[in-house]
Amino acid sequence: MERKVLIWRGGPDSGTSFAEYRVPFTSRSTVLDALLYVQRQLDPTLAFRYACRKGMCGTCGIRVNGVERLACSTHLSIVPGKEVRLEPLRHLPVIKDLAVDFTPFFQRWVRLNGAFVSSDAGDHLYGSSLPEPLVRWRECISCALCYSACDTVGRATSFAGPAALNRTLTLAIDPRDKGNRWHRVDRIEGALGCHAMGVCTLVCPKGLDPATAIQRLRWRRLA
Amino acid sequence: MGEIGLEIIEELTADILILGGGGAALMCALHATDQVPTPRVLLVVKGLLGKSGCTRMVQGGMNAVLNSEDSLEAHFRDTVVGGAFLNDQELVWLLVTHAPRIVFELENRYGILFDRDEYGRIHQKPFAGQSFNRTVHKGDLTGIEVMERLREAVWARSSLVFLEDAQAVALLPGEEGGVGGALVLDHRSGHFLVVRAKATVLATGGGPTFYRFSTPSREKSLDGIALAYRAGAELMDLEMIQFHPTGLVCPGSELNGAVLEEGLRGAGAVLLNARGERFMVRYDPTRMERSTRDIVARAAYMEIMEGRGTPQGGVYIDISHLGRERVEAMFPGMVERTRMAGYDLATGPVEVCPTAHFIMGGIRIDEMCRTSLPGLYAAGEDAAGVHGANRLGGNGIAESLVFGALAGELLREEVAEKALPRVDILYARDAVRELMDGLSAEQGESTAGLWAELKDLMWTHVGVVREEAFLREAIRRLEGLRERARKLWVGPTNRFNLTLMQALSLRNALEVAWLVAHSALYRNESRGAHFRRDHPSSWEVPKNLVLRRSLSGEPSFEWRSPRMTRLQPEEVKGWSERS
Repeated sequence: MERKVLIWRGGPDSGTSFAEYRVPFTSRSTVLDALLYVQRQLDPTLAFRYACRKGMCGTCGIRVNGVERLACSTHLSIVPGKEVRLEPLRHLPVIKDLAVDFTPFFQRWVRLNGAFVSSDAGDHLYGSSLPEPLVRWRECISCALCYSACDTVGRATSFAGPAALNRTLTLAIDPRDKGNRWHRVDRIEGALGCHAMGVCTLVCPKGLDPATAIQRLRWRRLA
Repeated sequence: MGEIGLEIIEELTADILILGGGGAALMCALHATDQVPTPRVLLVVKGLLGKSGCTRMVQGGMNAVLNSEDSLEAHFRDTVVGGAFLNDQELVWLLVTHAPRIVFELENRYGILFDRDEYGRIHQKPFAGQSFNRTVHKGDLTGIEVMERLREAVWARSSLVFLEDAQAVALLPGEEGGVGGALVLDHRSGHFLVVRAKATVLATGGGPTFYRFSTPSREKSLDGIALAYRAGAELMDLEMIQFHPTGLVCPGSELNGAVLEEGLRGAGAVLLNARGERFMVRYDPTRMERSTRDIVARAAYMEIMEGRGTPQGGVYIDISHLGRERVEAMFPGMVERTRMAGYDLATGPVEVCPTAHFIMGGIRIDEMCRTSLPGLYAAGEDAAGVHGANRLGGNGIAESLVFGALAGELLREEVAEKALPRVDILYARDAVRELMDGLSAEQGESTAGLWAELKDLMWTHVGVVREEAFLREAIRRLEGLRERARKLWVGPTNRFNLTLMQALSLRNALEVAWLVAHSALYRNESRGAHFRRDHPSSWEVPKNLVLRRSLSGEPSFEWRSPRMTRLQPEEVKGWSERS
């Protein structure tokens, strides 16, 4: 089997356009396999990011027919439509082709959350059972898919974005953390900036729910 | 536009230059800058900080003695017995004594949160080859939790400077035969940088990706070991490569060889050949599937080679007897991964085969993480000695975090009294010219093609089971591949050229593969992960195989006694019968 794959090419050094390739695939082939096929067999100048190839590093995020996805975790066979259109993530500077610079994503993340501030640096461990959200909600891999999908990130130059706010919630409910970040969270750059469109939750490759995390941050201040 | 020039655009200086962006590198950077006066630290990361490297890939967890019924001596002994007494016992003692404080630090300082048991105590799970349940973890995705939090800590520490999408292409000679920094290629800007540094730390994380089936993150290519060899540092026990017994069989996809974690076997998964037999009964009837990685990998390999494998060339792992819900709850990451490959771990068997996982050998270090060259240090998988001939599950991330931290602490003090070394700029210029000469926009060998040839050759000739004739053949053919890799076609040498990155990786991998084949031929015995069909027994006295580059470029070898300062083989009951 073969599919038509259109890849966004270009960057700050050159003009941009879509290049068309025909890529063979099986039921197990992923979009990452397709990118590697193009780069290895057809065009060695194609640039994209990947590392672990198994959904753990969160570096191979791209837009597949307009929807944010991890290339390594998306089977080519499930992408609907006649063609597969691959574009770089939004709201991040393109270095070249599909490879983007994550710096603004992490910069906003750290500006909002700062560092974990421990209540206890001693030689003993927090010892009681853990609230479920504290366990599950911290499984974010910082792939920036939600950051790219969020229109509010695109419009407001300072909105921290869903992943950073999801992390804020896990810090807020962590009994060990004594950081004071509410003055940053309760602003337009933080939880108040969210327009509750919910695309962040739709695109999360780990099934997390940043949209609800942000709502919880707001309710917490009302309570 | 954006073309990589031959000019060295910038000259940077740092007190400590750290090459790498995984657990060892980040712990080194954090510990070096924990107290004032703070040294100036520069991290050079091949991918993205905290997202490349293999600490992030850790599924199982980290070994540390935290229970009063466990003991440092037991952890030490498990590690040394697992390593077939090839370990540097002083390094092992550092590992086991510092691992507990590192767990406290991860939780209390960086906010990492490991799983708790029903009483709220930190949960420690069983892992193969261990006499006590000592592996702390976060589900089956421990590495993500650790690296996400370490990444936050580094980002939040404004004094730390890092370059992403950059790699060292040569170590630069400093003063008095030492290392004075590195020549760095910044792929993002397309510039070569000369970095002068008082201390250069290799923390690139080994990574035997030169096999047809391998687990590590794809950007890894044994860069640190290759750089150290070219600079003349002593390397050790490079033939000791661990094959994880349960890599996913997924032909035609990059997922091929991705690991299914050891905790599955700890939790009761069985291994079956194509006839449905629990074959471990023939190889280790007492420990069965919970035997050490080397024994299980060899057993699976033998089953496959003797025609009892699956049609796709693997064996089966099956844990579905625990029940779907339980498997999904215990191993969510693994279930998801098998479903990606068209299997379902929660409901049935999955095809697996041995996959190259870790290199126990590497750069020889002392207790201060010093290599044999002044100014050059190593920590984590780049270094040798901690794991001996075989690594226990859960000791890999422990090594990276402990020795990264130790290197940072020691260097903080050491660089305070040192002056910046002078480096030879002409040497750097020559290195740039030589590098770019062999990379052509128009013609040359295909990088992807050579990578594929290398992986196949290593798999068939320097794999799980080794033999003199095959190793000699491998060395001969590796020399041919190295010659061909002198001229590579990479397309226009623009910035962020993925093919160029893979070409540089290929050269490093080829050099280390060649050294591994030489070392495997040199060691005429079987020990730990190294199995010679033509020399199946172990020598009575363990010996480290130390090598360094001679003037001709060929490796020169030397046998040395490992530091057996705390435990002798005869003190371990049943050891001599087993070896």
